[in-house]
Amino acid sequence: MNPLEHQAQLADRFLTRRQWLNRFGMGMGAVGLGALLGEEVRAAASAADLNPLAPKSPHFPAKAKRVIHIFAQGAPSHIDTWDPKPALTKNDGKSISGGNGVAFGSPFKFTPQGRSGIEFSEVFPSLAKHADSMAVVRSLHTDIPAHEVATVFMNTGSVRLAKPSLGAWTLYGLGSENQNMPGFISLRPGGGAPGGAQNYQAAFLPGVFQGSSINTQAQSVDQMIENIRNNYLAPKEQRRQLDLVHQLNAIHSQNLQKDAQLEARIESFEMAYKMQTAATDAFDISKEPENVRSLYGSSAQGKQLLIARRLVERGVRFVQVWASGWDHHNDLADRLRQKAGEIDGPAAALLTDLKQRGMLENTLVIWGGEFGRKPTRDKNGNADPGRDHNNRAFSHWLAGGGVKGGTVWGATDEFGGSAVKDKVHIHDYHATLLALLGFDHEKLTYRYNGRDFRLTDNFGKVVKGIIA
Amino acid sequence: MKRACLLLAALALALGVATADDAKKKKPPVPAPAPAAKPAPPAAPAAKAAAAATPTLTADQSAFFENKIRPLLANQCLKCHSTAEGKVKGGLALDTREGVLKGGDSGPAVIPGNPDKSPLIRAVRYTDPNLQMPPKGEKLTDAQVADLVAWVRMGAPDPRSGAAKGKYANAGERKVWWAFQPVKLTPAPAVQNNAWAANPVDNYILAKLEEKNLKPSGPAEKQVLIRRLYFDLIGLPPTPAEVDAFVADKSPTAYAQLVDKLLASPHYGERWSRHWLDVARYSDTIGDPAKKRESPAYPFAWTYRDYVVKAFNDDKPYDQFIREQLAADRLPNNKDRTTLAALGFITVGDHFDGNRDDIINDRIDVVTKAFNGLTVACARCHDHMFDPIPTKDYYALHGIFSNVEEPKELPIIATADKTKYADYLKEKAALDKAQTELVAQAKAAKATKNKGNKKELQKEALQLEVRTDRLDITHPGAPVRAMVVQDVDKPKDSPVYIRGEKENKGELVPRRYLEVFRQPNAKPFVSGSGRLELAYSIANKNNPLTARVLVNRVWQHHFGEGFVQTPDDFGTMSTPPSHPELLDYLSTYLTDNGWSVKKLHRLILLSATYQQASTDNPRFAQLDPFNRLLWRQNVRRLEFEPLRDSILAMAGSLDATMGGRPVNLGGGDDNNPGKDKAKAGSLRPQGNYSTRRTLYGYIDRANVAEVLNHFDFAPPEMPNGKRYQTTVPQQALFLMNNALVIEQARKIVERPDFKGVEDEEKRIAFLYRLIYQRTPTAQEIQLGQAFFDEAPAPGQTAAAPAPTVQAAPVRVAAKKGRLPLAAPRTTPRPLSAWAEYAHALILANEFTFVN
Repeated sequence: MNPLEHQAQLADRFLTRRQWLNRFGMGMGAVGLGALLGEEVRAAASAADLNPLAPKSPHFPAKAKRVIHIFAQGAPSHIDTWDPKPALTKNDGKSISGGNGVAFGSPFKFTPQGRSGIEFSEVFPSLAKHADSMAVVRSLHTDIPAHEVATVFMNTGSVRLAKPSLGAWTLYGLGSENQNMPGFISLRPGGGAPGGAQNYQAAFLPGVFQGSSINTQAQSVDQMIENIRNNYLAPKEQRRQLDLVHQLNAIHSQNLQKDAQLEARIESFEMAYKMQTAATDAFDISKEPENVRSLYGSSAQGKQLLIARRLVERGVRFVQVWASGWDHHNDLADRLRQKAGEIDGPAAALLTDLKQRGMLENTLVIWGGEFGRKPTRDKNGNADPGRDHNNRAFSHWLAGGGVKGGTVWGATDEFGGSAVKDKVHIHDYHATLLALLGFDHEKLTYRYNGRDFRLTDNFGKVVKGIIA
Repeated sequence: MKRACLLLAALALALGVATADDAKKKKPPVPAPAPAAKPAPPAAPAAKAAAAATPTLTADQSAFFENKIRPLLANQCLKCHSTAEGKVKGGLALDTREGVLKGGDSGPAVIPGNPDKSPLIRAVRYTDPNLQMPPKGEKLTDAQVADLVAWVRMGAPDPRSGAAKGKYANAGERKVWWAFQPVKLTPAPAVQNNAWAANPVDNYILAKLEEKNLKPSGPAEKQVLIRRLYFDLIGLPPTPAEVDAFVADKSPTAYAQLVDKLLASPHYGERWSRHWLDVARYSDTIGDPAKKRESPAYPFAWTYRDYVVKAFNDDKPYDQFIREQLAADRLPNNKDRTTLAALGFITVGDHFDGNRDDIINDRIDVVTKAFNGLTVACARCHDHMFDPIPTKDYYALHGIFSNVEEPKELPIIATADKTKYADYLKEKAALDKAQTELVAQAKAAKATKNKGNKKELQKEALQLEVRTDRLDITHPGAPVRAMVVQDVDKPKDSPVYIRGEKENKGELVPRRYLEVFRQPNAKPFVSGSGRLELAYSIANKNNPLTARVLVNRVWQHHFGEGFVQTPDDFGTMSTPPSHPELLDYLSTYLTDNGWSVKKLHRLILLSATYQQASTDNPRFAQLDPFNRLLWRQNVRRLEFEPLRDSILAMAGSLDATMGGRPVNLGGGDDNNPGKDKAKAGSLRPQGNYSTRRTLYGYIDRANVAEVLNHFDFAPPEMPNGKRYQTTVPQQALFLMNNALVIEQARKIVERPDFKGVEDEEKRIAFLYRLIYQRTPTAQEIQLGQAFFDEAPAPGQTAAAPAPTVQAAPVRVAAKKGRLPLAAPRTTPRPLSAWAEYAHALILANEFTFVN
């Protein structure tokens, strides 16, 4: 599909039919043209066409159809996870040039894994088995080393002004494959992330692209999704009631124009009816066989990632998974190991499970935080040191969805203080993620207040080296 | 976003050009990209100007340029220096002649005729180590350099004009845009069907219809008309008795009297203030609650909301409404202190974590969009791409808003009774004392340079601030304060921030309003910050946009679509008005009638155009598929506020109390359960779910209640003159399953006047009259009867007790700070078939759409 057409159809699905037609360039003064095409145009603007969540093709063919974004919020230390620095270990305890402090060699051992030989920190023993499916980006950098700002920046590409989030853009671009579920879901184990709703907001995109934030620690689906259950009527009786509603609607439509808006609303009730079962089912992990549940484990993250898999399996387009708590200013040796242990098993299980189902190919899984940490001991640290914030270098890994497995991209300096080779700014990263989904990041735009906005502002360079 | 405008705008321009061509070539037209919605240029003047400015190249010059220079620039330079490509590094665009001559941040790129003095030549020669282009050693060949030198020497002939693209190449051309021309009154046009026209509005509408051989629709039935009018003006349905009285009243003035009655209703202000609050990005909080530097609440934002309600109800002249919102504190002879609350217009915006320039930007944005329909904020980093708004204009306004501040203690505009006030003062004194102690401690800590302690103290200070806010929000004796601003003592002009970068300061700009509105000899603003003078420049008959923008907003809410379809953007990227003469007629009417908004409503509502039926006419729909010419009234969908308010009203549950502190409508803060107490959650109104009008619900900018998001509530992050209209299953789920809605359906059939009716048929009619404001047809009665006939035995309709509801004790929900959207949390009582039926009527389209 021509990207321009693509964009137009997307942008136009939220408008009234009149506006929609207007955007065809057939406003005032084009009545002749309107007359010529009137009937076609009216037929085209059926309720289904007006559904902004209908699945759509991207600009070019791409492997990734859906995304699971595991957000390791708190800024994991790249030096102790994905970016080994032997020189730092060698200088441990000494003051290092340009480091403005005392070197803190990683307390963890790194060993090459898989055929690709990507070096893995000992804290990720299970993920290590997937080395050849993963691409590690070691040269990420961002603008501001403050958690909230950087977290929102990672998700929206904007430091403070309200911009749509990556998930919202993805849903806007691709629609959803499941009309009975929200297309963008943000999973959190209890508390929210800094920046709150900004991390999954639609901003100036229509509200339908907003992520639905769901607390996976809630005790029931009813608590996770507002109004998902009718506590008054049995399903059969509710069906009977809805049938009456449809009959009322049919009478109502007789006198009015066969308006797409009216039809869309009728459809939305059917969708809602199905969603009651579909959503309840999607979040009910007790329906998974025992072996799958034990693969993921019973921890909070295990539960979240299993839900995530159930969601993408059902065609949800974008799942954001919050796996926070990486702000290790002190006692990093113990705390980072523990934190890594929480995600290592479940994330490895997710990759294994997706592979077994043949879904990894089409599912882009990414893991990482909002910035990295310094090679030196945190000055606030005690006898058990940690690391302070560092926006100049951090690492992420990606797997599946067209990612070139077994790749290491970019490099930091010898101590890991700054990205130096093949640097990847957040905008570049976003451009790359969109490319994996089949989008030219410069063309996935939305017109707001007379101008076209995009995720990557006016920046962004695709990192081709990690795309298979 | 800061640096984004340029590229995005350029992109739009480029795409727009491409599709204009597409539209000509392709048949049938594919959906053109959004940029195609841009207006057709005012052809004649722009084309002429462009032609005049284009130098004629000789054949030799043309050949040289096309063969040598154009490809060279395209291949070597435009990737980074082209507005169309979206990159204008160093501010330099080489894709138009104007761009080459204007140059970048460091001046012109080319001095025609003088290669040695042209920076472009110096750059390609690689003689200056600081200026080498193309960069990274990708030096041009000697032959290419020689071509460029030769080209500059011959005067840099260049046929590429920005204007050649059909848009407005420079500010001068952009100024011919209709919106910048004075409001012009043209006599009401003559029409064939004179009898139809009820007032001059109809002449303008009918003339256009007749021109296209269209006819207006017949008058709407009285039942339809009264429902339309009620929702339009007060956002509530008429009662069956009110419908009956209106239908029975055969006097020719019945309708006009109804209009007057509703305009006089206090509910009118409740309905119309919300439209304005959308534009004013109203919220009860500062923005992101996770930012921990200041208390997240605006304890007195509601005083601004109440001011707006009252302004509409009092029919405050619109020019005065503008002046008060910008400068109530500086207006001469303003004795009414309560008007200070109007300044909330400036102050209820996002706090951007205290970033001053972003706050100023937000204020510039809201002022220029709300009153003049212009996107001036786009000129923060560069001259506006499409409108005649230079960056200097932006910093002229920046100068005004950088010289206002919010006083530490907000002025009191009303007090409670003395006993309560005394009690409040006691509690306040305790907090103040703690504050003083904290300051002393902070000083001591500073002296000892104890950093850890400092953090602790900051935290405490913040908690104190939150506690003070909570006191102001909850204490019955708290005095009412206005969210004012005041001018600083010694105002200063602002410099231009080059490319929007604060470190990169350019020339100082005197404080004043936009160049496009200014007389050449106009003096800069000198009184204080300049707010008052700004207010007078905007609230002014001679400002070509102030009246038009307001008229357009009012029209939009009466017809579903404005003359200009982008109410906050009248710039050159917007579609020109459907009825420019009518827009100007109404604008003149407004200013001639003392800026009375109610008189404007009255004129519009008494027109035959407004009173038309909304039924379809397939033939006309082919000729004018968007109904831009208004051959019928548009069918409109209720927004969330009237939807919820009506359900409560019909059930007799609506609490009609007006004004005051925001109330709990549930939802919201679940996204940010309290990590510490300094969050908005702790300042959220507590207490039971309110059955007051939706207008009075608490709005948390950072966490708008999910239900509001699902129903397209205007996000309070930015001005919104027009809401989206999405249709998503979550809306349906709310109506189908939410206890609030279902319990209202139950209440409807528990009304004594309903229970008093015995007959099934009459009961159905009762519900139709109550919910749809009309009597049912025989078919509809049958449908209802069939529903009852087939109803399962009582006791078989109830949902299985939801295990989940029991598994989730209320305690848990409350602990997280999340308030249930509606009270019932225990197993609900079974519904009667009648309640189910009433609920079905609420679910059906007819309830949500207004004909």
